[in-house]
Amino acid sequence: MTERTRRTRGTALPYLLIGPAVLALCLALGYPLLRQLVLSFQEFGLAQQFGRPPEWVGLANYRELLTDAYLWRVTARTVTFCLVNAAVTMVLGVGLALVMRAMSTPVRLLTQTGLLLAWAMPVVASLTVWQWLFDTQYGVVNYVLTSMGGDFQGHGWLLRPLSFFFVATVVVVWMSVPFVAFTVYAALTQLPGELLEAAEIDGAGVVQRLRYVILPTIRTVLLVVGLLQIIWDLRVFTQVYILQEAGGSARATNLLGTYIYRLGIGGGDFGTSAAVAVFMLALTVVLTAPYVRSMLRQERTV
Amino acid sequence: MARTAPRPVRWLANTVGLVAFALATFPVYWMVNSSFLDRNQIRNPVPTWVPFGGDLDNFRTVFESGQFLDAMKISLMVTGLTLVVALTFAFVAAVAVSRFRFRGRLSFIVTLLVIQMIPAEGLFISQYKMLETMELLNTVVGLTVVYVAGVLPFTIWTLRGFVEGVPYELEEAAMMDGCTRTQAFFRITFPLLAPGLVATGVFGFIQAWNEFTLALVVMTREDQRTLPLWLSTFTDVNRGTDWGGIMAGSTLIAVPVIVFFLLVQGRMASGLTAGAVKG
Amino acid sequence: MVRIKKSMSGVAIAALALTTLAACGNEDDGSSSNDGGGAESADIRVWLNGTDTPQEARDWLKETFEDQNPGSTLTIEQQEWDGLVEKLTTSLSSESETPDVVEIGNTQAPTFTSAGAFADLTGELDALGGDDLLPGFVDGATVDGKTYAVPYYAGSKYIFYRKDLLEKAGLEVPTTLDEFVQTAIELKKANPKPANFSGFWFPGQDWRNGAAFVWAAGGELAVEEGGEWTPALSSDESLAGLEMAQQLFMGASGAPKDGNEADPWTPFCAGEVGMMSTPGWVKGLIEAEDTGCPDTYAKEMGVFALPGTDAEPAPVLMGGSDIAIAAKSPHQDLAQEAVALMLSDDYQTIMAGAGLTPAKESLASLLGDDEYAAATVAAASNAKLTPAAPGWANVEGSRVLEDLFSAIAQGGDVAELAAKADEQMSGQLNG
Repeated sequence: MTERTRRTRGTALPYLLIGPAVLALCLALGYPLLRQLVLSFQEFGLAQQFGRPPEWVGLANYRELLTDAYLWRVTARTVTFCLVNAAVTMVLGVGLALVMRAMSTPVRLLTQTGLLLAWAMPVVASLTVWQWLFDTQYGVVNYVLTSMGGDFQGHGWLLRPLSFFFVATVVVVWMSVPFVAFTVYAALTQLPGELLEAAEIDGAGVVQRLRYVILPTIRTVLLVVGLLQIIWDLRVFTQVYILQEAGGSARATNLLGTYIYRLGIGGGDFGTSAAVAVFMLALTVVLTAPYVRSMLRQERTV
Repeated sequence: MARTAPRPVRWLANTVGLVAFALATFPVYWMVNSSFLDRNQIRNPVPTWVPFGGDLDNFRTVFESGQFLDAMKISLMVTGLTLVVALTFAFVAAVAVSRFRFRGRLSFIVTLLVIQMIPAEGLFISQYKMLETMELLNTVVGLTVVYVAGVLPFTIWTLRGFVEGVPYELEEAAMMDGCTRTQAFFRITFPLLAPGLVATGVFGFIQAWNEFTLALVVMTREDQRTLPLWLSTFTDVNRGTDWGGIMAGSTLIAVPVIVFFLLVQGRMASGLTAGAVKG
Repeated sequence: MVRIKKSMSGVAIAALALTTLAACGNEDDGSSSNDGGGAESADIRVWLNGTDTPQEARDWLKETFEDQNPGSTLTIEQQEWDGLVEKLTTSLSSESETPDVVEIGNTQAPTFTSAGAFADLTGELDALGGDDLLPGFVDGATVDGKTYAVPYYAGSKYIFYRKDLLEKAGLEVPTTLDEFVQTAIELKKANPKPANFSGFWFPGQDWRNGAAFVWAAGGELAVEEGGEWTPALSSDESLAGLEMAQQLFMGASGAPKDGNEADPWTPFCAGEVGMMSTPGWVKGLIEAEDTGCPDTYAKEMGVFALPGTDAEPAPVLMGGSDIAIAAKSPHQDLAQEAVALMLSDDYQTIMAGAGLTPAKESLASLLGDDEYAAATVAAASNAKLTPAAPGWANVEGSRVLEDLFSAIAQGGDVAELAAKADEQMSGQLNG
């Protein structure tokens, strides 16, 4: 495909095509991002928000953060939570998308509608319902487990951090699987049926077909979706925040997202909170670097 | 779908589908169930599984609050505008990125990626200040500007994957048949992108439809409320949250998303063969 | 420049408050320009939160204000408590979109007053009610001798109990804090079923009720010395209070050890509660058909103020709202008039009619004289605010106290936990 490169070098067309997107992003994000970066070098609290001139403190916010052992605990927790959630979501989502191809049309439509219902449910409602389901006193989960003979009356699901994160994982995965399943299924529709048939005639088994035919075709979409899952799961906020309000210990269950919020809006210290945000960005870049590098290599060689 | 699976495989797949449906929709069912119940039935030591004996009181409350339709109007405008702008911008950008080589292409891709990595929790204050200087606070356009920026990087990225999924050879073949490059693109590639546009469109729709924090600070006037803001009027820490109202309101808010999906879902099933035939 | 002297002759309802304000208006240097006759006329935007303020009061405020300020209008924009801090943080910093008058939770107020978000009301204090204003509220909104917010209404938690259960167990309404703890524990013993029955319903995160025990034992959450705040949970007095709380958690409460205090009427109406400490408005929900249990337990409901160590009511956490003027509001004079109306006797009478404790001590009698009014007044009489430390929002934001009380509820070592909480707070209190 090198001729493509030759043909388009030097024309203005690609720039015209990305122009609107670049403009929109610069317009809506340029200043806020710059300000966020500047804030991280300032002593900036509520008083500064209302007009008191901020004080430039250089790297003090960062120094204070990085020397706090708690930040590293939260970081390790966040990374673990992110990887587990992204993995579970991807396995379930991609699996479901593949299985959807084999379903009869009515069942597939039903499944898709179900996934969409879950996805479309307003967050306030879904988090409230999940909270109710796992409620210590009146939760449906405890009720069902107890009536099935378990000793779950008054069981506090959020009490212990591990159990807390189990519930959080259930909620996060439940909210993310529809997106993965939908996008991957859409990508699978691009798969040439003849190719699969040919492979089958050649005697390729399910695993081989998956590995040599299906996965390469949807590779780009799969990688994009996987990467997005990592990014999003690293930033999980609302689910954990709401669960913390309902039970458990905030200090033992803070992830970077909730930590930033509690420092910023919760505590009115926007400087430090911006510094954590920058730190988190750096962390994400590091965590996704291997993938991004291999992707860039692929981009160059195409 | 071009092929049909053998019977036992299909049977198994259908079972998986039904289980997935049940797991995905149980919380949704619980929401709808609760929306018919009185508040003292919603949270009770013995769960009410089916809303027998329930009534429409919650829905009546929700409609009587009067602002539902106004909020719906604002939400539809913001979401529609966001969707049109974001999909158009993203679509042309995705084509540029995957069908052209040009200087700055890699930086553009990487920047899009990095933008999505930026934690948003503290960003809304800066975005507020920005909209203030633009004099776009409490306007549909203002909210749309920040929403577009929110869904654009994702949309470009995902669409790019879809554009690359369409073999360039198909376009070349059409060009040999006498199509111009542009014609070849719109005749051959564009129809094949429909599933991708639908998938990203659904994503963008849901993002904009359900967003809360930015709407909260940008739309402070009562007549500019979006649906999630309207919904939050039923929470009241000082008077006890009206859970029945929340659930009834949420049920109503979810309906347009379902309608939108049902309208576009047909495009999702159209596979390569369908597209090639149309081309 | 404010043209109220003429216009008030007609409907002078809140005459007194307005005369004084007219004087204030005249002191203004007239910085805001206006075309025409030099009178300022504008739309005053008032942010009220939730549904506490009854519709009657809203209507009265709008009508009266517009009658007395021809040409000007007053718009009440209802906001929600949920997300209020985010909204105030942004809107109050905006010249163009700032509301003129805002209601804010009395414990949230210090965060904003010390940040300069509100206009200085020190000069108007006497006109607005002076010493008659609820003192705790004024103190809480005062920084370096300047007052930035005034009380709007108050309401402290008091004890709801089941008369039938107390009687059945042969117990009396307690008159001291020790008696209260014993009553709660015996009530739990007398009701082995259901297993989660609470002699005193006390969810683990409920530090707002927990603080009352610390204060009653003579302890403090934090103390100020020479402008520096230090945490005080590890003092002997505070520890005694925390241990009392643990006694209740372990021996009397069946509420979730890590739960929050939301929806207390649910366990009450499930027959799982002997006593609980909640705001007065919970009564209405317990008695309502669709939220409560009007035909069963509501009939057995009684109330009293949590007793202290010395037969005085215990120092409970003071609840309520403040009212303030945005520093960035371009219509300071008109905003002050709106505030004056909201603190006028007429307006506050309407508020009292809705069961809210009026902002002025002299109006307390308006609440009526049933047992609920008596409990409301008694609970408020000794109520306390959270420490006015500049960094208190940090403490609440990071949930130090929720974590502390929840760990105490689970049977942790009180002294150890208090020391840990103190250590966390010491870095936060001074901002």
